[in-house]
Amino acid sequence: MKSISLGQYYAVDSPIHRLDPRIKIVLAVLYIVIVFLCSNIASMALLLVSALVIVLASNIPIKIVLKSVKPILFIIAFTAIINIFWTKGEGAPLLDLGFIQIYSKGIVNAIFLVTRIFVLIVGSSILLTYTTTPISLTDGIERLLGPLKKIGLPVHDFAMIMTIALRFIPTLMEEADKIMNAQKARGADFTNGSLIQRAKALIPILIPLFSSSIRHALDLATAMECRCYRGGEGRTRMKILKCRASDILALVAVIAFGVAIVCINIFAAPYLPF
Amino acid sequence: MAKIKLENVSFFYGKGTAYCKEALKNVNIEIKEGSITGLIGHTGSGKSTMLQLLNGLSTPGEGKVYLDGVDIWEKPKEIGKVRYRVGLVMQYPEYQLFEETVEKDIAFGPKNMGLSNEEISERIREAIDFVGLSPDVLQKNPFDLSGGQKRRVAIAGVIAMRPEVLVLDEPAAGLDPQGRDVILDGVFKYREKTGATIIIVSHSMEDMARLCDDIIVLSHGEVVLHGTRDEVFSESQMLERIGLAVPQITLLMHELSARGIKVNNGIYTESAAVEEIARLMKGTK
Repeated sequence: MKSISLGQYYAVDSPIHRLDPRIKIVLAVLYIVIVFLCSNIASMALLLVSALVIVLASNIPIKIVLKSVKPILFIIAFTAIINIFWTKGEGAPLLDLGFIQIYSKGIVNAIFLVTRIFVLIVGSSILLTYTTTPISLTDGIERLLGPLKKIGLPVHDFAMIMTIALRFIPTLMEEADKIMNAQKARGADFTNGSLIQRAKALIPILIPLFSSSIRHALDLATAMECRCYRGGEGRTRMKILKCRASDILALVAVIAFGVAIVCINIFAAPYLPF
Repeated sequence: MAKIKLENVSFFYGKGTAYCKEALKNVNIEIKEGSITGLIGHTGSGKSTMLQLLNGLSTPGEGKVYLDGVDIWEKPKEIGKVRYRVGLVMQYPEYQLFEETVEKDIAFGPKNMGLSNEEISERIREAIDFVGLSPDVLQKNPFDLSGGQKRRVAIAGVIAMRPEVLVLDEPAAGLDPQGRDVILDGVFKYREKTGATIIIVSHSMEDMARLCDDIIVLSHGEVVLHGTRDEVFSESQMLERIGLAVPQITLLMHELSARGIKVNNGIYTESAAVEEIARLMKGTK
């Protein structure tokens, strides 16, 4: 239980870590759009280079970054296989087994798709989760959604709910761990038995856990009221987000990169094999 | 023979990561059968970690834990049996209650042991008596009880397994003096009646002095003192250096003898101190 880390925030200093969270959210969205704009081999190559640049700029060891791809390896492999076997291309197939035909277009499609998913995960996780603490991320989201307040959406409250939820994940995990140990000490067995038996074995954990989350919520509400919390109205911030020159620079760089990709798509396409 | 023996036990949190922390360093202790042993140490000294090693909730990183001379991890599949023999009451055990009635909650442990219904209900009566609750709470909902009563129900839940070794992690923390006395008396009674070995963690030196035969002092994951109550509490300076203390009244006696008044240093309760001082006063007249 103790080894589960909350989010993936990796605490080092880097130019990307220092960016304003609002800018990072915008950059991540832009980057995702760019990933899907790439349509030929030259722009794909450029995309891979850009992903490498982002990884290097973030000061996060490549090993850690690759770990974030691990959970979706299956999805990547699955989509690649589907593409290879089910894409019908023109001309003669590369391989013909009667019931299955593999065309070169299928392989190209698979490679493009795998690259896209890979860069998508690596790019967005570095721009957001690896380099931004969950708290500043919610802060950024709150500020970006600020304009929605005008149409009556309780943006501050949503952000506060998210912040509190994030804050309590480790607390509740620790609590779950303690309760599990306490019940194990009384002979509870969570690993053996049929599915129904194991589901039943969770009751002695879930009931105390629910009751203590309600207790925590009540205590927290009282503590917040004691410190005069009354929603976002007139509330000042400890950390004021500031857009600096480097933030603007990063934004300009990503936009320029997007424009470059579009240009390559249009002008280089006729000279490329795919 | 030692009931419980730790041999070269070390324990690490987060082994193999950058945050690796050694919570216990090369601990060697033997706990006598039928004794009440107190475990003291400042916050974060490794007390709770050590308790969880005793019943196999955690495995030692290095070293062995012996119960009656048998390595508890010899047959990892039968660790459950060790947990019935070494009953552990964790800190703030009242938060682990989950059943609709007190009776059912106390029955959870014995039921897991696979005992017959008659046996279980007999054990429930016995356990509830040890912790000083009346049988009419049995049909109540544990969530309706007061904090002190909940704590006692939780302790009864472990006692009902009739463990040979009863391990309690700060059983009296946060209770009023009366609630504390009821629980500690119950523990004492359990030892008297069953001959069980008791291991108890507390921050109250007064409680420790009143209750324990032996005391183990932990500091930064190491055993710094282990001896009888009198041996440990005679090291008042050593204890103070690591952020602990001897009972207030014992400190007074130490101060008096440091000033040349011949008092008995091994005094741990107010009533004993009153007698001792009265004896001295008579002598001077």
